[in-house]
Amino acid sequence: MAKKILIIDDDPNIVTYLEDIFQDNGYATCKATDGADAMDVVRSERPDLITLDLEMPKEWGPRFYRALTQDEEFSHIPVIVISGLAGNKYAIPKAVASFTKPFDRDELLKVVKETIG
Amino acid sequence: MFKKILFATSGSPCCDAAARVAFDMAVRYNAELFVFHVLGVPSRGFSHVVVDVRTGEKVELDADYIAWVQEELKNTYERQLRSGARCTIEAVVGLPHREILRKARQEDVDIIVMGASTTGCEGDSEAYPKHFAGSTLQQVAKASKAPVLVVNRPAASFWGGFSTIVFGADFSRASEYAFQFALKTARELGAKLYVFHAVDIESQHGLISQQEIDDRMLEARDRIRRKYLLQAKGYKDVSADVWEGIPYVEIVKYARERQADLIVMAHHSRVTSDGALGRTLEQVLLRASCPVVSVNRPDKVVDND
Repeated sequence: MAKKILIIDDDPNIVTYLEDIFQDNGYATCKATDGADAMDVVRSERPDLITLDLEMPKEWGPRFYRALTQDEEFSHIPVIVISGLAGNKYAIPKAVASFTKPFDRDELLKVVKETIG
Repeated sequence: MFKKILFATSGSPCCDAAARVAFDMAVRYNAELFVFHVLGVPSRGFSHVVVDVRTGEKVELDADYIAWVQEELKNTYERQLRSGARCTIEAVVGLPHREILRKARQEDVDIIVMGASTTGCEGDSEAYPKHFAGSTLQQVAKASKAPVLVVNRPAASFWGGFSTIVFGADFSRASEYAFQFALKTARELGAKLYVFHAVDIESQHGLISQQEIDDRMLEARDRIRRKYLLQAKGYKDVSADVWEGIPYVEIVKYARERQADLIVMAHHSRVTSDGALGRTLEQVLLRASCPVVSVNRPDKVVDND
């Protein structure tokens, strides 16, 4: 069964781009357009990995990450930060990796493969 | 809670993180935001020239230049201005800290938002590793009646609102005001409040026995209970912790572990002759991964509304 990646980003172009990259490489995807809705998607979809934007209209990425890590059932899910903000690698110190937009798709895929196979 | 916010900015990239927080607070808490820039006079006396923030060159001061600076500020914060914040932009001439304090008094703002320092921000950041808060912040934090919220690192600006607050307790008089601010903020925003104290084992000469550390930690816990937790009666989402170590390191670590989005501290624990920021607060606000509020006076903290 294909590993599932949850894409959390408010930019529909980025979501589509990431969906294409991941689906072309054999992963299943699901999405949330804001941190506020993302926990519901985590509960319903049970992803194996999450890509997380930082700045979103209602709830920012670090706030979602805090909620995720405070839920024992989902706190183990690896997170990759993908954001346009400078200094984003310090936003979530326990993230598997941080990428600044525009990012290298091969680098991203390499990290995803290393993390969930 | 935050009805009027004064965002004091140099207009340089050093203030970008503070801008992100200031505009987000204005939208999130429906506050009136004053974006305020001071064109510094380069000497103590009157002058017809100012130093341009971007070029570092001396510029003849006239109404056109001030209008141009205001226009530049609008361009700088163009994206944030589209967020829908109720905002006015103003540029004035003078000594920065004096004008910021004057504006804060004039508008009776609830909080001042600033970056930590402009020095070393552009180009030469390696030469100036920013281990010190800037003089404008020092002066504003010392004299301001309103709490001063400082955002130094970009990572401190990625939270979007306050729902987990760490109060760094030091048992001083100013710390009482800081606690009242932290508690009031937690109550109004429904946030978790962690009261934290770090027993200082850094300034001891030689090795300190574990029994002494344990005794000091027990004493600190008791003081926290009597001084702060009793005040918080009726508010359930409050808890306390005491760790030992170098205070500023422990506070930053504790806030990181709790994934705090706001740290509140007193301006200083001891009255110093120059009224400078306490060393612990200075280092916390430079290093924290969330905004840090310095509280020095009771005026805007004690409930009067």
